[in-house]
Amino acid sequence: MSPEREIHTEKVYRSVLAGDQELTSAHVQSALDANIDANVILQEGLIGAMREVGRLFEQNEYFVPEMLVAARAMKSGVAVLKPVMVRENLKPTGKAALGTVKGDLHDIGKNLVGIMLEGAGFEIYDMGTDVSPEEILEVIRTEKVDLIGLSALLTTTMGMMETTIQVITEAGLKEQVKIMVGGAPVTKAYADKIGADGFAPDASQATRLALDLVGAAS
Amino acid sequence: MKPRERVESALQHELPDRCPMQISFTPEFANRLYRDMALKGKRIHNPHGGGNTYELERALGQDMLLTSVGWANSYYMDDKPYVDEWGIQWDIQPYQTPFGSGAYTEIVGHPLADDDAVGNYTAPDPDREALYTDSQQMIAEFKEDYWIVGVTVTTIFETAWALRGYKQIMIDMARDEDIAHQLLDIPYHYHLAAAKRLVELGVDMIWLGDDVGSQNRMLISPDMWRKYLKPRMATFISEIKSLNPRLKVAYHSDGDITPIIAELIEIGLDVLNPVQPASMDPAELKKRYGNQLCYWGTIDEQHTLPFGNPTDVQAEVQRRLETIGRNGGLILSPTHHVQLDTPLENFWMMVDTIKNTPYSSL
Repeated sequence: MSPEREIHTEKVYRSVLAGDQELTSAHVQSALDANIDANVILQEGLIGAMREVGRLFEQNEYFVPEMLVAARAMKSGVAVLKPVMVRENLKPTGKAALGTVKGDLHDIGKNLVGIMLEGAGFEIYDMGTDVSPEEILEVIRTEKVDLIGLSALLTTTMGMMETTIQVITEAGLKEQVKIMVGGAPVTKAYADKIGADGFAPDASQATRLALDLVGAAS
Repeated sequence: MKPRERVESALQHELPDRCPMQISFTPEFANRLYRDMALKGKRIHNPHGGGNTYELERALGQDMLLTSVGWANSYYMDDKPYVDEWGIQWDIQPYQTPFGSGAYTEIVGHPLADDDAVGNYTAPDPDREALYTDSQQMIAEFKEDYWIVGVTVTTIFETAWALRGYKQIMIDMARDEDIAHQLLDIPYHYHLAAAKRLVELGVDMIWLGDDVGSQNRMLISPDMWRKYLKPRMATFISEIKSLNPRLKVAYHSDGDITPIIAELIEIGLDVLNPVQPASMDPAELKKRYGNQLCYWGTIDEQHTLPFGNPTDVQAEVQRRLETIGRNGGLILSPTHHVQLDTPLENFWMMVDTIKNTPYSSL
């Protein structure tokens, strides 16, 4: 690796880890100005940093606030890189649409999964909270996603996961996507019962599951 | 034994006749109970707010009665979207269960989302007499027989989070200390004033709370808790205890907060609530902290009560009495308001097992 390339990607990496969005976009811009390859900035700088953020989260060194600021910094870097990525047709690991089911507005867990998946190179389509089965059908039809992630915090709303999977199945779209579920009251047994393709008890395990489901596990 | 003696005894780590019990419900579950128990009377039950008649609580044989002053009273304020007096916007989220439909009130708008709004904000006034009328009445009516808890939960972090939005307050805590301190001070001062007033009115215990735990880890790091919340909690507890040295202090956080329990004890905590058993092992806590801490909660509201059967519920109550409840120090309670998805057979098995299991039989 050329020292110049390493200096630039290291700066991007450090600024994401520190959760500094201004510095991250500035470092990505100067890396581009120095003719560092966009894919290198993305993989070694931004995604590499998010992978480390995920590791620190698993080790109980990073918590939700550190995850949020790192993700915000990464987004600011991706925004600078985006036009170049589009031009060079760079492909993500997969595309995942994440949402909290109808009736439920809780999204900390879903957002953590999104952050961790970004660190694994996924493109995230955030469906938000209180997402109806019909909205999810629309996303499957229009967004070309590989993976659907459904979240619920409440015992009274987790039943909507089953309804959502039924609606997807009845629409004949179940084979087009993999569906994973999670959230505090959700268990592996419940996930199996409702026909989900996978369940993970936390954001780190959700990442391994997602890679597995899209066939990108190393 | 009077309910208040039962609680007093448990909190002294002595053995009452049976384990004390406290249960709260969502308004929908309360309505089901009213019907099931054929109770008449004012059919309004707000687990957070005022106006309670305590009819259900007393008919069930509960031992602690709760009276709340603070932002948490904004939950369940209306059945259509509303803005509370803090400027926080609420929406109505309906849900279905096998036992009927209900609705939660959920926070959807934050008045201090913009930095500029923070400096110009004036919080509601905690010194309004009308805020304390219900508490005054219920203390006069029930304190002789019941253990009275003054509730000022969502004490610091949770109200600040509702004012600012959870992402932004956590980003502030990570990146902008000044604004984070400014935000956390708003509810801190309000709830401290309210708690002091409740102590002066004669409550036996103050219940503080801020959710800093998620299902299997803390939401914020222990270091961040030490920086922003521990010093405020320490002052809060010492100020209210200085008004009444016999006062007990309980603290609520959902989820797993194992890393900060020892420090909560250090700053004067007496009772930990709700001890979600899917997040922290109750028996393990008892082993680790012995008589340094009492517990209030421990009956699983995520799996056992809604999805288990009566045998599961009975076994769980028994297990708690034999482990974390051994030698007293426990007030049994579900880890959240009982929800509409809970079968009545499970509910009654919980109540009956608690009431019909004398400590002498264990």
